[in-house]
Amino acid sequence: MTDQTIASHTSRPKPLPKPAKGIWRQGWQRFTRSRTGMLGLVLVMLVVATAVIGPFLAPFDAHDQSPMLDPGAKAPPSWTHWLGTDRMGYDVLSRLIYGAPTALAVGLGAMSIASVIGVLVGGFAGYRGGTTDEVLMRFTDFFLVIPMFVVILAVVRLLGVAIVNTPFESVPYLNLGVIILLIGVFSWAPIARMTRAEFLRLKNQEFVEAARCIGATSGDILFRHILPNALPSLVVIVALGIGGAVLAEAMIGFLGFGDPAAVSWGQLLYFNYEALKVAPWASLSPGLAIFITVLGFNLLADGLTDAFNPRAKV
Amino acid sequence: MQVFVFLTRRLIFAIILMLGVSAAIFFLINAIGNPIELMMAETPGMTGEVIERMKSYYGLDQPPLTRYLLWLGRLLHLDFGTSIVYNQPVGSLILTWGWQTLKIQVPAILIALAIAILFGVTAARRQHSRSDFAVMGTALLGQSLPAFFLGILLIFVFSYTLDWLPSYGAYSTRNPLGGSPTLDALWHMVLPVAMLTFFNTATLTLLMRSNMVDVLKSDFIAAMRASGIPERRVIYVHALRAAFIPMLTYLGLLIGLMLGTAPVTESVFTWPGLGSLYVAAIHQLDYPVIMGASAVIAFMLICTTLLTDVIYVLIDPRISLE
Amino acid sequence: MMSLAAETQAAAALPRQPEAAASQAPVLVSVENLHIQFPPWNAPIRVVEDVSYQVRAGETMGIVGESGSGKTLSSLAILNLLPPPARIAGGRILFEGEDIAAKSQREMQKLRGRRLTMIFQNPGYSLNPLLTVGAQLAEILKVHEKLPRAAALQRVEELFRLVGITDPGPRLSQYPHEMSGGMKQRVCIARALLCNPALVLADEPTTALDVTIQAQILDLLEELKQRLGMSMIFVTHDMGVVARIADRITVMYAGQVCETGDKHAVFARPSHPYTQALLASTPRIDKRYAVDAEGRRERLPTVGLAATPGQPLGGGCRFAGRCPEAAPDCTRLVPQAAAIEPGRVVHCLKRGSAGVPGHG
Repeated sequence: MTDQTIASHTSRPKPLPKPAKGIWRQGWQRFTRSRTGMLGLVLVMLVVATAVIGPFLAPFDAHDQSPMLDPGAKAPPSWTHWLGTDRMGYDVLSRLIYGAPTALAVGLGAMSIASVIGVLVGGFAGYRGGTTDEVLMRFTDFFLVIPMFVVILAVVRLLGVAIVNTPFESVPYLNLGVIILLIGVFSWAPIARMTRAEFLRLKNQEFVEAARCIGATSGDILFRHILPNALPSLVVIVALGIGGAVLAEAMIGFLGFGDPAAVSWGQLLYFNYEALKVAPWASLSPGLAIFITVLGFNLLADGLTDAFNPRAKV
Repeated sequence: MQVFVFLTRRLIFAIILMLGVSAAIFFLINAIGNPIELMMAETPGMTGEVIERMKSYYGLDQPPLTRYLLWLGRLLHLDFGTSIVYNQPVGSLILTWGWQTLKIQVPAILIALAIAILFGVTAARRQHSRSDFAVMGTALLGQSLPAFFLGILLIFVFSYTLDWLPSYGAYSTRNPLGGSPTLDALWHMVLPVAMLTFFNTATLTLLMRSNMVDVLKSDFIAAMRASGIPERRVIYVHALRAAFIPMLTYLGLLIGLMLGTAPVTESVFTWPGLGSLYVAAIHQLDYPVIMGASAVIAFMLICTTLLTDVIYVLIDPRISLE
Repeated sequence: MMSLAAETQAAAALPRQPEAAASQAPVLVSVENLHIQFPPWNAPIRVVEDVSYQVRAGETMGIVGESGSGKTLSSLAILNLLPPPARIAGGRILFEGEDIAAKSQREMQKLRGRRLTMIFQNPGYSLNPLLTVGAQLAEILKVHEKLPRAAALQRVEELFRLVGITDPGPRLSQYPHEMSGGMKQRVCIARALLCNPALVLADEPTTALDVTIQAQILDLLEELKQRLGMSMIFVTHDMGVVARIADRITVMYAGQVCETGDKHAVFARPSHPYTQALLASTPRIDKRYAVDAEGRRERLPTVGLAATPGQPLGGGCRFAGRCPEAAPDCTRLVPQAAAIEPGRVVHCLKRGSAGVPGHG
């Protein structure tokens, strides 16, 4: 460098080194600067809070149809029924509150399943490379083109018929469980692709080679060196996926194939859509709840992208 | 020659994919139980003998693998079987209802592309301006607004509150608008197309803008300007073409998403399309229609992917055909 | 980096020519008191401040400065192609006697590519990847000279031959990604020369290339300049390159001009402390470097301590923070042009410049 000072003087002396910050703390600092991300976080926290403490504050029980008698079905908003009553005589606000845990269960449940499958398949493909990679990625391509929603509808409906008069009939929330499982099983492909790309990128980096040189085991390298560095990208895609899963369940419910035992926003829409003209509050409010939840997770993902890989911004 | 080899290879891959996807759908649905037995479970008063007769009539008394091969063989002759509920060939049902689906989805994609190009380019050229901010904000919100809920909102506002546009169906049963069936059909298309267009436009605009911002920063655009190529040509011919290429992948995904969620979006408007046909078939357990419609939807998705690949090769010389 | 040392040495060692005799040709471009600013407009960032220089017909002006010194922006301003939100906040740019900044984009578009044009730093990025090189060069001829496609392609082929592209015919139908970096830069040079412009702005045209290719491209530019008699503004951070290709030099630091003058004069008798430091820090092969008792080579002098990033520009002389001769007034007063020799101008309070209070 000494023989090329013209170039070297442009690298300005750095300010005193600040205490080293981890990838997560740095990310959080950038996240707090992203306006959309913070709005997303607020919306998500709102949904989570509703799901956790809402049921204790809900004015009516989820299955309380007593408002049918007074003030009657499809009653407009009033002091007792802030969002009015619906076609079946339920208090709309209470049903809305009880829908939040269902939505979150679907979002988190389905994405947990998808993450496990996606990280395993993608990680294995990326780490092993070669033929394994080729085969697993073709398998992933295949899951990308299956019309997931169409298949889920058919399976949920047929399964509903098949379990009649079998012991499965008495399993609580079986239908909802199946929906969660299917959404999870059909949405791991993007996660697998992302994991593979990250593993491919990371496995040849110098710190991984250094770890290998000091004799770290495969497991050590995978779980202590590669996976933690791949997580930030995965967090973004999982956050997007949660919104997507909530939406998928809402659509299944809207078509009338939801779990009859569970209270879900999609089903509220299904039951009340016919009465949109006379009791718009009963359809518009669950629709709005779905919108807010999906928006929250999408904005959160947007903020996370800002925080972890600002360059990869779409 | 190279192009021909490439296309053949993509085509073979698409066919393998098609076989795989159809097998997956077939066995997943059949794994749950024999379709006739499931169907009859909801129809009281069926004797075992009648069920057996029906099974053999629909070829459902064979083991699953034989049935799959039979079904596949008939698919190759475009024979999708006969609908149990409508008692019509599934193929012609899919054609009539599928036409209605294309009638709203194709315009929705085209209009969305035009709007996305217009807004995306405008926003990119005035990056960080107020109009850019407005476009970005709307698109970001629109991206999260579920299409079917948007449809509900549109019906609530334009049909129920303002009473301007019809809320359901593809045509009036009597008294078509202005006495013209064509005008009446267009009249009914307005809201469904608006819903799908808005849904498509949001993400396309965001993508268009960010691609355009990147392209406009690139040296070759500066070099074109420095060579005196008129600004309009620089933006709308050269920059647009470069910015459009990365959108192709997403466009393919989008068409898939639109087709895949047609059951929901069409239900909102009781639109007589492939999606509604499918939902009705599932409700009524019309097995041949379920199988046929899902296979056709999968087929269209795979064709879209294939088409995307081919267009890539046609417009991007950097893609090697190996 | 041998080439750099050798070139520098060569330039300084050449017998001095009478400076005023450099050229009596008419002035082609005259940049006068150019200011370029970035927002926020209530407290603008002045990235280019009070820059003036002239380029005569047939002359090559080398603009030297480190990255961020405003050299690229001031050359983009000559094309009236400042990237938004940058804007010209003062001064004039006269090209063939007309003020560029006062022209509409439509008028400019007719000038660009025909009378003046630019060669960019990275040939890999400055060609449209989606079009064959023949097609994109022919388009320029179609715009400016309304040539039909066949005639345009023929002209492009001639120019390819001129810039030393072997086998130019088949090259026309190649895409940029099918060519090497040096070949692409030759295509870019051909593109610049299509309509025989009076002025070519070259923005570090060799920086992105391998050292051997760099030398070839410099040779080519030198040869073309002599054959075609065009003027060139050659922007670079490499003293070796200017020493070789420029007739006159403008040294810039952080958006301000340090000094302007004939190449030989500047290399032989650098006046501004920044130029002196730059030249002193360039290794030379005609100098012995002492070796100390432990066998360590004597260190080259460096250009003082760099300014801390984020420090506001403005105040007086921007080099003051790193200048060994800085006086208290230097941070307060902006040095004006002072003629020290015929055709040489320096901006330094210590060299006789008048100072006017800065904006900061």
